[in-house]
Amino acid sequence: MILSVSDLSAVRSGRTILHPTSLEIRLGDRIGLVGASGSGKSTFGHALIDNLRAQNIPVAHVPQTPDQALDPLRSMDFHWRETETALGLSHDAERQTRLFQALNIEDGDLRKRPWGWSRGMQQRFVIALALIHSPALLIMDEPTSALDPIVAARTMTLLENYLSTRNTAMLLITHDLGLAAQQVDRLLVMDEGRIVEDAPTQDVLNNPQSQVAQSLCTHRNWLTLPR
Amino acid sequence: MLTLNHISASYKKTPVLKDISLTLSAGQTLAVVGESGAGKSTLIAVILGLVKADNGEVSWSNSPVKDCLPSLVMQEPLSAFNPILPLRQSVMEPLKAQNKTITEARLAQLCERLELPLALLDRKPNQVSIGQAQRAGILRALMAEPPLILFDEPLSALDAVSQKKTAQLIADLQQEQGFSALIVTHDLGYAAAFSDYIAVLRKGHIEEITSTTEFIKKPQSDYGHELRAAAFSLGSLGYSNLEAKRENSK
Repeated sequence: MILSVSDLSAVRSGRTILHPTSLEIRLGDRIGLVGASGSGKSTFGHALIDNLRAQNIPVAHVPQTPDQALDPLRSMDFHWRETETALGLSHDAERQTRLFQALNIEDGDLRKRPWGWSRGMQQRFVIALALIHSPALLIMDEPTSALDPIVAARTMTLLENYLSTRNTAMLLITHDLGLAAQQVDRLLVMDEGRIVEDAPTQDVLNNPQSQVAQSLCTHRNWLTLPR
Repeated sequence: MLTLNHISASYKKTPVLKDISLTLSAGQTLAVVGESGAGKSTLIAVILGLVKADNGEVSWSNSPVKDCLPSLVMQEPLSAFNPILPLRQSVMEPLKAQNKTITEARLAQLCERLELPLALLDRKPNQVSIGQAQRAGILRALMAEPPLILFDEPLSALDAVSQKKTAQLIADLQQEQGFSALIVTHDLGYAAAFSDYIAVLRKGHIEEITSTTEFIKKPQSDYGHELRAAAFSLGSLGYSNLEAKRENSK
């Protein structure tokens, strides 16, 4: 199965944030969407979600910080059950245990509210929520930028281990080409609301075509900065 | 030289810093890395005298640190500036506090150095980009030419490319002006590329203070090892085994 969207666009306050963009994603793909702040990456992510949902394709979105996903006044258990209800699923303790184990949050107290959990655990809980209905595509918008490096690295490894056993595709939205290069096989480079490059990761790294990709490559790793 | 001698500090009776000793020589850069909640920002507050230490002394060349009038560059440029004042007014504050002035030519020179068009200073903080606001924050820190500048996560609000450009700019300005820099960051890649020493802070303790070149080769503490491995797997320290493997399989 191929997920396909065509001519997605977005205009905000009379300004075109996203020019007509089409994309095809195969199941199991690992795709990175990179570009500078304000280049339209998140807008493209949202347009992609709306369009795929309209096609009845299950997609899930993990925002940058867990604060954007969790209600501070509700227990973790409430969030879990509410998500199941919203997705039209009945409660399945076995599925919950499996996801919690995969993301290493099985020790979290579900009676607590979000702030009773550490930030890294909250973010992994949100990822577990996103995986409840086995989406065809998981969109991660800067999933690690609010986390410590150690927690961030661990979260990405746990997620990759889980995804590699199924067909879920992942779109990783980030301004950090260094991070994307570790996680994805295919890179989309975005600039001023357009995808200016779409190529295998290694090709973009070795031979960036667009000016923005060249700049991202040059500034990719701290220790290889041009002096 | 900045000296911290057996500093302990607490927040609402919870110990946050435990027996911290370190030194930072003139013109050098010390990066303090560690997890969230390790006490990194409290360390800055103690050095500036904003939080009183329970025990120990902080000094700059045997005098209280505040006598050297250090500057601070904050994480969020937007919350670091008064939102209703033009940037120019905020940027001038360190000079005003010391009854000093600056010639327009010198200001223009500094602005050019920071790639900050002079006209932008007449705008308010929310009318410039985050990157420009952060460079204005650096401009403010440099105004009175302090011997010590503290940076609290100075790059985390910026995107990857402007992070690296801004880091380079800070390093160049340090070369020119000779200030000592204490940089709190959780990006080990940044610390590795732009510091002389790395201090690893965990749960209020210093696990190690190691020269940066040594640290990249071999951290002294287990936690330092963990941090280094995480930075590699997030791609901020350079090529990882994973990428090398991909390269070879081509």
